[in-house]
Amino acid sequence: MIGRHSLELALPGASIGAVAGAVAGGLTLFAGAPTGMATLSALALAVPLAFFGGLYGVLLGHGVFRPGTFGPVGLYWMAAFPVSRLVQETLYGVGTADGVLTFLAYQAMVSLGFAIGFLWMHERLMPHWLMRRAADNPIAEQLLGTYLRYARLVSARKGARK
Amino acid sequence: MDTSNTPPATATPPVEDGRVWKAGRLEPMPIRKLPDAPPSVHLLGPTVFLVALGVGMGESYMWPRLVLLFGPEIRWLFLVGVTLQAVVMLEMARYAMATGESIFTGAARVFKPLMWFFFIVAIAVYIWPGHLSAGAAALEQITGIPWMITAICGLLLVGVVFTLAKVIYNLLENVLSLLIGALVLGTAIVAAMVGQWSDVVSTISGMFAVGYLPDEAMTAAWFPVIVGACAFAGPSGMQQMWYTLHLRDSGAGMGAHIPKVRGLRHAGEEEEMPNRGFMFDTEDPAEMAKWKGWRRWVTFDALLLFWGITMLVTISFTVIAQSAARLNPGVREALLADDQEAALTAMSNAVSSAGSSVLGVVFLGFIALIGLNATLGLFDSFSRGQADMTFNFVPGAKKLGMSRLYAIFLWAVIAFGILILLFGPADGPASILDTLAFLSTFAMGAYCVTLLLVNNRMLPKPIRPKWWSNAIIGFGAVFYLGMLFYSMVAFGVVVG
Repeated sequence: MIGRHSLELALPGASIGAVAGAVAGGLTLFAGAPTGMATLSALALAVPLAFFGGLYGVLLGHGVFRPGTFGPVGLYWMAAFPVSRLVQETLYGVGTADGVLTFLAYQAMVSLGFAIGFLWMHERLMPHWLMRRAADNPIAEQLLGTYLRYARLVSARKGARK
Repeated sequence: MDTSNTPPATATPPVEDGRVWKAGRLEPMPIRKLPDAPPSVHLLGPTVFLVALGVGMGESYMWPRLVLLFGPEIRWLFLVGVTLQAVVMLEMARYAMATGESIFTGAARVFKPLMWFFFIVAIAVYIWPGHLSAGAAALEQITGIPWMITAICGLLLVGVVFTLAKVIYNLLENVLSLLIGALVLGTAIVAAMVGQWSDVVSTISGMFAVGYLPDEAMTAAWFPVIVGACAFAGPSGMQQMWYTLHLRDSGAGMGAHIPKVRGLRHAGEEEEMPNRGFMFDTEDPAEMAKWKGWRRWVTFDALLLFWGITMLVTISFTVIAQSAARLNPGVREALLADDQEAALTAMSNAVSSAGSSVLGVVFLGFIALIGLNATLGLFDSFSRGQADMTFNFVPGAKKLGMSRLYAIFLWAVIAFGILILLFGPADGPASILDTLAFLSTFAMGAYCVTLLLVNNRMLPKPIRPKWWSNAIIGFGAVFYLGMLFYSMVAFGVVVG
């Protein structure tokens, strides 16, 4: 059941990716485009972003990433975000007018912003999800432990208030 | 300005041993233990407030406007402005984390009238509801509800929320975090959709065109606008000073020894607020190691969260503006005419034509979101700052307690805001924003001077700023005050 346990950790990241992708991605072709086409465009961005978002959660559970550290997450999205956008543009976009490399370079740059927003939201949602799953999921329990150790240090600090 | 009792260099000094640090004429600060710094560069600290306050009209309107008018090279001034603000943030944090006192109390330790100056400037600058209007106008575009109604409802909502909150800091941090998270994610995706590589290259390379100032920029019409935009790069006015209150309330450094401000409904549960901060034993290597940890923590906040997000949002909005001007020449004309509403609408239309009408709505939604962030942050910070000064320095105010004072200032500023919106000189959304700029810029020059005095005279030697940091803050004072007065003397105009 290791697979299921790991997959559960993917939920917060996958949700953030999916919502971000769907909301903004779906808008590009909305006007003048048939609804079906617009939905496909939204999906074409939401699915890869959800996939990479979820993968981040799984890797976090396996200790590849440390909670809340930005550097590695920035590098991760620098690769994952341009790929997601490329998938969308290739399938349902207007194409990459400036050439693929320039397109990817631009997207990589913007991805850093996406990474900050993603990490920011992920750090807000993940602990709540872990608290729900910790009882049945050892990986979630372990990761929650990491968050709790941090929280305890903070509360010990605040407990010292006079 | 000396410790009355030189602390012995022991690894574990007793927690309460009667030693004090004398700073200025106010009550000396007792020596207490510095708490441990967070174990890693883990979490978002109170910088979230500074980001929420800082990412405002400067980033979403003023700078994109200057870039379209003068070319991307003008952005070197933005780089100077934001970098300067990052250093100011680190120095503000130095005093607040070392003492648990706000910079206002620090100023009073140097010279009390200095603090009253800021008290008065805060009232003069921040009681006007101008910051609400741009966001509310954007909301009017989306929903059709008149902006004044949204603005008044927004004011009342802010008051109710902060009155009911048990511990205001926690509530505000959570709300602002989600809003900023949405803003950052959304801005990044919209920029990814509508922008091009060449826009980013020109925007970023423009940041390093140091010294570029076209002839047009040196005219009475434009120089004041540029000064205003420099002051609005990142947090403007007194926002940096308020940041020290948030640091204290979040328990950063010696702020851990100070109780939190509560909402009015829970004011009765408030712990007793001490009337001075605390100092740690700077002769103790173990304490100094912890101090270094705190400095690392706040430096991370300053560089990544503050500097990074401010840069990111501005670059994104500039890219969006450039794409918008390419698609719709009306954008440039509206910007040139300084018609903020028309320019934002034109930008929104251009974004719509690139993607869809919904994308235009998303753009206006961001403007409304920025307005909401700024309003939440400003009202809270203003009330916090005024309550702090009143509590510590107005005789008899201590009886009321910090939380009640906070509520009084909060509701006073809300009531005044509503009156001004209904009957006052606020004849249109953008018109009130501009009048604040002079005092706002002046306060920034003044706090640079205050910071130099406070950090170099009120802190023990081992934790005073380095020479280069002093040099940068000194440059800040010259930068803000110099440009402000040059604008007045050379062109007879205050900032635009």
